[in-house]
Amino acid sequence: MEYQIEEKEAPGRGKTKVLGSTFEEGKPQGEDLGKWRQKLRDRKEILKYLEEGERYWFGKEWYGSEKRKVPA
Amino acid sequence: MTDPEEKSIDSASVKMIKKAAADGVSTVFDRAEAIKPCPIGSQGICCKNCGMGPCRLPAPKKKDEEKAPRRGLCGATPETVAARNFIRMIAGGAAAHSDHARGVAETFLAMVKGEAPGYGIKDEQKLFQVALDFGVEIGDRDIMEIARDVGEIALAEFSRQDGELQFLKRAPLNRQKLWKEKGIAPRGVDREIVEIMHRTHMGVDQDYKNLLLQGTRAAIADGWGGSMIATELQDIMFGTPVPILGKVNLGVLKKDEVNLIIHGHEPLLSEMIVIAAQDAEMIDLAKAKGAKGINLAGICCTANEILMRHGIPLAGNMLQQELAIVTGAVDAMIVDIQCIMQSLPDVAQCYHTKVLTTSPKAKIPGAIHIEFSEHNAMESARAIVKTAIENYPNRPPNIEIPDEEFDLVAGFSHETINYLLGGIYRASYRPLNDNIINGRIRGIAGVVGCNNARVRHDDAHVTMVKELIKNDVIVLQTGCSAMACAKAGLLTPEAAREFAGEGLFSVCETVGIPPVLHVGSCVDNSRILMAATAVVKDGGLGDDISDLPAAGAAPEWMSEKAIAIGHYFVSSGVFTVFGVTWPTIGSEELTNCLFKEFEGITGGMWAFEPDPIKAAHLMIDHIDTKRKALGIDKARERILYDMAMRRELEAV
Repeated sequence: MEYQIEEKEAPGRGKTKVLGSTFEEGKPQGEDLGKWRQKLRDRKEILKYLEEGERYWFGKEWYGSEKRKVPA
Repeated sequence: MTDPEEKSIDSASVKMIKKAAADGVSTVFDRAEAIKPCPIGSQGICCKNCGMGPCRLPAPKKKDEEKAPRRGLCGATPETVAARNFIRMIAGGAAAHSDHARGVAETFLAMVKGEAPGYGIKDEQKLFQVALDFGVEIGDRDIMEIARDVGEIALAEFSRQDGELQFLKRAPLNRQKLWKEKGIAPRGVDREIVEIMHRTHMGVDQDYKNLLLQGTRAAIADGWGGSMIATELQDIMFGTPVPILGKVNLGVLKKDEVNLIIHGHEPLLSEMIVIAAQDAEMIDLAKAKGAKGINLAGICCTANEILMRHGIPLAGNMLQQELAIVTGAVDAMIVDIQCIMQSLPDVAQCYHTKVLTTSPKAKIPGAIHIEFSEHNAMESARAIVKTAIENYPNRPPNIEIPDEEFDLVAGFSHETINYLLGGIYRASYRPLNDNIINGRIRGIAGVVGCNNARVRHDDAHVTMVKELIKNDVIVLQTGCSAMACAKAGLLTPEAAREFAGEGLFSVCETVGIPPVLHVGSCVDNSRILMAATAVVKDGGLGDDISDLPAAGAAPEWMSEKAIAIGHYFVSSGVFTVFGVTWPTIGSEELTNCLFKEFEGITGGMWAFEPDPIKAAHLMIDHIDTKRKALGIDKARERILYDMAMRRELEAV
């Protein structure tokens, strides 16, 4: 990735160049706006997400409170 | 005529009611004044199921007549008659949702077979979700092979003769157990509906409690069957909704563009119209006719479907369908199925609007019929868009488009709520449950349903929802109810600051969501069932939907679909309040059964309260009762223990 260099004022040092953010800004534009499901790129990732993210229905080790051993 | 200001709280609608009067056009608001509801029919005690009747069984007016037996010619009691009528309403509503779903399933299978050009699979994740639910092997199989299996199983659910619907497995374990124990776990959707029609035929089932149980089976078959199948297959083909910015109200119509309104409930055709309206050839044609472009807008649940997936603006809800034409700026109104008034061609006659019916199941005299088929969907869509464009030069001089248009954020599928609360790696309902437990959020409400011209348009929806969020109850909405609140500005994140209680506001601000979440169209009430199930399964708030601090409402209900939806929420364990009128009020015994005894059967029950503030407080009281039962009735902050506090604990 290309590093972003930002110019900032530092106390007592005047203007100085600092390294900008190195993460994805998280502000997708146009078609991708808010379409989080596209972040899962292939079948393996989708199935993994279903098992973990949608664990209430598809997790192999999810019990929540409805399968608790000691009744509430 | 009553003051138009009294007919709607929406100023755009009031302007158009006044314009209609000035133009000499009769609307539903005028007819609601001229025609009073039948006093016996509205109480559910008129039986017209055989040629010996109709038998009317009104309650005696004088006190000394109180104990006089009320019987139809066959001996049917008011309880039997009211129960028959009530469950026939469920049958009608369940049939509407489920036949919609069947159409989607048929198109889905045609798409898989390559017989529906233009359609495809947009959401593989949802396909795999449903495949896992149906036990379809995924592995490395071709996606269309998986889809074929999913489509065939989905279609077979309608005619399943025995066993249980597949999606019942999605419900909380205790709910599934309860349905089995009570014998109300439904078989196929069609079978349960047909059985209602049989049981309510003259001389069959005459035990009102037994009739209600059959209504319950059909209602569950709607919510966890027909409606859920429609939602899931639509998501696979057109995409699962994600948050999207949209606009609402008649101000979305444009004076200098071809205005094409899509009205009804199915997204099958409207998805194609969205594509056709963006076609360069169509835009050029519009320009050649003097327009600057093509402006699509929606009414009713078709509108919700294309808003959630494409951000197409909402022109309005059910009671605004005639008023949109009254603007004089609608070049064509395309209708498919459900909630479409027969008066549309009459209103259109006074302007230039072309009303186009598209479903072989829903024709209207005076409308132009352009039949839509999934086999040549794009061809039909282009013909429809072209009809609208060619009508643009015929616009009348008396055009008046109200200025009102408001922002809203829609697209809160239950999967997206899960994602928003935790992200890709920690998707979870835990933050919601934690904030319910700590009291920042008092509870969850589903406020859904129609408009009803017997009450002030949108008033009950907006008043109720404002009262709920003020009391820290987060609200999930669908259908015309969501549109009403969108017009009042409640479906934006900023609304939390202005209208929500402090606790709910803090959660909304942190997550970046509105206090009122637009979940979709009326079949998408199934998404609310799934969200409620996720809350149960995440833990800490009981073991069933009936344990949750949650309630439902349809304050301006009108259609049989609303009764079916209400009853599947009650059958899923939700306390549900309806406004306007109650269709079994003529039988005290039956009404008591639905309002009280049903809690002992399904854990949920009905209530009727036309005053939206009082209804909101019935819901809040119920939420508080459930909070008390869960032991979370007193707000508690989570305390992060430091070492000194831990040592203190150990010392004890």
